[in-house]
Parts: sequence; structure tokens; C-alpha cells
Amino acid sequence: MGEKQSPSYGVVLFQSVNGALLAEKLLKGKGIEYKLIPVPRHLSSDCGVCLRFLLDNESQVKEALVGKVEIQLFSPL
Amino acid sequence: MSKKIVDCRGLSCPQPVIETKQALEKNQKVTVIVNNPAARDNVARFGESQGGKVTIKEKKDGVYVTITTSKDGKRPEQNQPSLCSTTGPVVTVIRSDQMGQGEEKLGRVLIRSFLHTLNEVSGRPDTMIFFNTGVRLTSEGSEVLDDLQALEHKGVAILVCGTCLDYFGLKEKIAVGQISNMYTIVETMLAAGRLLTV
Repeated sequence: MGEKQSPSYGVVLFQSVNGALLAEKLLKGKGIEYKLIPVPRHLSSDCGVCLRFLLDNESQVKEALVGKVEIQLFSPL
Repeated sequence: MSKKIVDCRGLSCPQPVIETKQALEKNQKVTVIVNNPAARDNVARFGESQGGKVTIKEKKDGVYVTITTSKDGKRPEQNQPSLCSTTGPVVTVIRSDQMGQGEEKLGRVLIRSFLHTLNEVSGRPDTMIFFNTGVRLTSEGSEVLDDLQALEHKGVAILVCGTCLDYFGLKEKIAVGQISNMYTIVETMLAAGRLLTV
């Protein structure tokens, strides 16, 4: 709070909404900060949802999810 | 200069605007007679959006809105207001902790996505009303508190149904917005220019 510099985010997209929900549980379990948001327009025109995370935590996010959920794409936001 | 008088008394939105539009396509000066304030405002606004000069005369038998456009075929088409826009605040009603009805799990995902996006886009409602299970969204433990707090910070008034908080035992747990009652909720809905129900 108070810092003007906005944090850098990445997003992870999944094959399905259920995948996003499963990933959410996994991240919550590990105490990794995330937010469920709509898939940004520039990544897809579908009405999908994805998880946004702090780029600083990218490796932890990958470790928590890869091999456990069907991931479509990791991308910087 | 071609002129036309269109009698729209007794017609409800969007008919007066549609008839005005058709008349303006063939005439440079159009006088539209209406008999209610919403139709007067909508026709006048439409005339202005077409680059016309608008004069309004209130007479005994109706309101005469006269639109004069400068030249045929030279009317700006962009920034047209919605045909039925009326003046007044935009009010968003959140009637449950889900967006839409049918599949609960999906609805809970959609409402989070919706409230995040409401913060991202340029427009925003003036007031949001939460009732029934919607009040859970405004209470401690809600996953959308940050979004709602950000909206409140931007000036969106958040009204939370007190009866509903009480019913769910959440009165002490409200974390954003103000506890409201049915009078305020009904008055806010009635005064709305647009009411968006989620």
C-alpha cells in the first residue's frame, strides 16, 4: 500500500473453468497470492476466466500447478 | 428547406426517437410533438447528436421539439446516445452472490469476474444495491472485497440490505458499503436512469 509503482502480473489460462477453480484451490493451499479475473481481451476473445499472480511468484505458481491442472498458457499481463 | 411535423404524442420510447430519425433523413427541419418529459429529452438529445440545432416549446397540447440540421448528408453519426437513455443515475442491482441463475459454482465465478471488470472499464455505476445472498459479497471473508472497496473509493455508493445482513447474521461483519433499508433501496431504484440487474 502507498507505493505508486504498480506490481507486475502474469496470468495463467486453463483448458476449462473447472481447471481454474482447481488451480485456485492449489494456490490457496500454498498461500500464494492470486486473483481470479476474466481472460484479458488481448489473449482471447472467449469469455473465460484465468488466475492473475504476481510475476515475482511465477516459479512458485508454476511449481504448484504444472502437472496438476491442464494449463493452456502462461503469459505476462 | 424541407420541413416536417411528426406527432409522437402518446408514443413511448423508443418510438419518438425512431420517427424523429426517419423524418430527419428526408428533411432539414423537423418538429416533433411529444407529451412526456422522457420523450422530450430523448428526442432533443438525439437531435443534438445529429448535429442539429434544437429548440423546445412547451404548448398546451404538447411539447414541440424542433430540430434544424444545417445540410443534408452532413450529420455526425458517432456518439449517438442510446435511444432510450433517460437522465438519472446508473444503478446496479446485485441480487445474489452469483451472476445469473442456474449453476451456482459457475455463478460464483462469474460474479468475481464481473466485479473485477467493473473496476477495469471506464464507466461505472453511481450506486450498487446488494440484497438477498448478494450481501455476502460485502461481508468479511468475501473474495470481492478489494474490488468493492476500490469501487467505493471511486465514488460508487454501495447500499447493503440490512434485513438481509440480519437474516444471515452478517450485520457485524459488513466490510464495505453502508447498511440500507427498503425505503432507500426502493427510492434509489425509482430514481435510476438505468437499472442494471445482475
